[in-house]
Amino acid sequence: MRNISVSHKILILISFLLIFVLCVYPYLNFFNKIFIESFNLKLIIKVFTSSMFVKALFNSLKLALLVSLLCSLVATPLAWLLTRTNLKTRQIWKKLFTLSYAIPPYLGAIAWIKLCNPSNGILNNILGVNFNIYSITGLTIVLSSFFFTFILLNLMDTLGRMDATYEEAALLSGSSYIGVFFKITFPLIKNSFLSGFFLIFLSVMASFGVPAIIGIPGGIFLLTTQIYTYQKLGSLSGIYMSGILAHGLFLITFVLIMIQIYLQKKSYKLVSGKSSRLNLIKLRKSQPYINIILFILFFIIFILPILTLLISALSKTQGIYSFKNFTLDNFKYLFSLNETLRSFRNSLILSSSVTLICLFLGFIFSYVVFTLGKSKKQLINFLISLPYSTPGTVLALAIIFSFGGKVFGVNLGLYNTIGLIIISYIIKYLYFSFKTTEDAFYQVDISLIEAAKLSGAKWHHILIDIWYPMVKPAILASAFLIFLPALSELTMTILLTGPGLETIGTLLFQLQEYSDITGGTASALAIIVILLIMVLFLLFQLLNLVIKREKI
Amino acid sequence: MSSIEFKNVSKSYDKVEIIINLNLKIKQGDFVSLLGPSGCGKTTILRMISGLEENSEGEIYLDDRIISNPNQNIFMAPEKRNMGMVFQSYAVWPHMNVFKNVAYPLKIKGFSKSEIKIKVFEALKLVELDSLSDRMPNQLSGGQQQRVALARGLVMNPCVLLLDEPLSNLDAKLREKMRIDIRRLQQKLKMTCVYVTHDQLEAFSMSDQIFLLNSGQVEQSGTPDQIKKNPINSFVKNFIS
Repeated sequence: MRNISVSHKILILISFLLIFVLCVYPYLNFFNKIFIESFNLKLIIKVFTSSMFVKALFNSLKLALLVSLLCSLVATPLAWLLTRTNLKTRQIWKKLFTLSYAIPPYLGAIAWIKLCNPSNGILNNILGVNFNIYSITGLTIVLSSFFFTFILLNLMDTLGRMDATYEEAALLSGSSYIGVFFKITFPLIKNSFLSGFFLIFLSVMASFGVPAIIGIPGGIFLLTTQIYTYQKLGSLSGIYMSGILAHGLFLITFVLIMIQIYLQKKSYKLVSGKSSRLNLIKLRKSQPYINIILFILFFIIFILPILTLLISALSKTQGIYSFKNFTLDNFKYLFSLNETLRSFRNSLILSSSVTLICLFLGFIFSYVVFTLGKSKKQLINFLISLPYSTPGTVLALAIIFSFGGKVFGVNLGLYNTIGLIIISYIIKYLYFSFKTTEDAFYQVDISLIEAAKLSGAKWHHILIDIWYPMVKPAILASAFLIFLPALSELTMTILLTGPGLETIGTLLFQLQEYSDITGGTASALAIIVILLIMVLFLLFQLLNLVIKREKI
Repeated sequence: MSSIEFKNVSKSYDKVEIIINLNLKIKQGDFVSLLGPSGCGKTTILRMISGLEENSEGEIYLDDRIISNPNQNIFMAPEKRNMGMVFQSYAVWPHMNVFKNVAYPLKIKGFSKSEIKIKVFEALKLVELDSLSDRMPNQLSGGQQQRVALARGLVMNPCVLLLDEPLSNLDAKLREKMRIDIRRLQQKLKMTCVYVTHDQLEAFSMSDQIFLLNSGQVEQSGTPDQIKKNPINSFVKNFIS
């Protein structure tokens, strides 16, 4: 530390303070408020022994397990097919199947209710069945259709980087292709499979939108929706009960993460970081059939829900399919509401300001971690990743308790303001920009920095003149990872929102929940959101191309 | 131009001693090579001169001034030492064109734009790159990038020029030409140069003085002729044969 100048030390100090306030203080304070300041053993016992808790816990775990299993079953062969075979269309399918990553799952929920509700579900009518979407099965299908991309992306990345000689060696030893997959390939990718599996498991435990839109009407409560319900009771005991339950959910999440770390420590680390040539397994006659199967899968999880929303948004009367029923009234009505423009304005202000702040903080924090070396790296990484892995419902409550009233004795008056939502998004999404930028720091040739030092540059010169241009591509890449989810965030916002603070997410939720169950207004808004996301997605792809070209 | 002296300098990482009680003197205006097999500590010595590494024990002098002594808590930061350095990987900043790369040390020191322009083109002329000043590094060959790095090291009129295996990434023909060019430039500018290499041909053809190193210690030092004629032990004999 002797060689570090005073101004640099101040930067490090401020960074540590900020990381503490954003990533540690809310947890400590939340725990303190619930279990120490207003300790109420009776209430605690009541929450954890109620049948509602037991049911919600059981539902959460059951649903998480079902979704994780279904996703693994679909995504594992798919990932293998798209990385390890000579399927001609695989580049297109890769792009298409990762599309659903960008769309918020609750939009799918709205569509699937139209398709499979027991009274007049479109799909039920067409197929002549009576499938009830308001069930664990319904929840499993809708959540899986979105979350399977987690495991798919993980596996495609690992399989794409895996050294093919391991498999070739086994093939030459006389093993069959199937035998190679189970004996060689799978053990090697076990780590990335596990991390995908646990990511889905935890995401289901933490999910709110889909369980609220589909689960609550079906009487199926998860821990998240139960916490929300307590909170919306509005009474003081309701708020404390939600706080107590939130700690339960947090504890379960924490235990699951520990189990994951334990399991992953026990598996191999044989995947080389360098890209090596892949042996592509030759598919000949089966190619057209595989394409048909992939198309059906893509149709079910992607085209069908969007088509449903589109038709619903353009229908005068829901459930009638003719050109006479075509109308733009749903859109007109949507934009006659004061809330609509306000929600768009709020969401855009929120996501752009949060993106900018996160990019800035992510850059500074990764710089600080880099200069302090490996010893501090793990701790800071853990602290910043904590809010990212905390269920949004829990985090939002911790933030209300920590920043809603007095903060370190000063009343900031943030409750029911956009400021509180901004803080919550920053805390939640900081990890994206931090992680991406930090990785980029480690990829820069250190002699570029040393050359600047010897040129006489002080740390702040180097930060601006060398580090910033070198890691700029990573910073820009993480902008998209923050902007898109922030634009349609629902889980935290629904707990933090107040009068005049509608966002796109909460407006959709309200339209679906309260005012417009069978109508097309929610669908109209959903279609606009999907279009908006698609346009941003394309823009980002273009931006990426430009950056890549600049690099070459 | 300056002289450098190491007095009883040691350097250890995690209790492993890399440099053991090293004494050496580099005279003003000399071209000095630190020669030895990989892992002998030659790059570490260079990095201690530049201040990119700090010695664990002993004193380092720049002329009559102590620039590093951990026991007395003296350490001059690398950005204050005004030394030029040419790295093995060139370390030419990929986001700046040739002119901006060479101009950077002057910009930091607060020279005016017109002064910067004059000095940069002077430096670029020395390395015969003045016609490529607006090229980006990725449009240059390895040899040209190395010349940019050299010009950048020279432009701020450094007290010492440090070169860390600067030619090892170039092909054989280019290496020979660069060897002659660098030596000519050094003699023209009467510059103190410290040159790290594992290639004895480079060391013997360019240097006024050679320090032959092994396992963190100097095996033999002297002019190329002295070492060639009187190798002091079997290690030196084997290494230079």
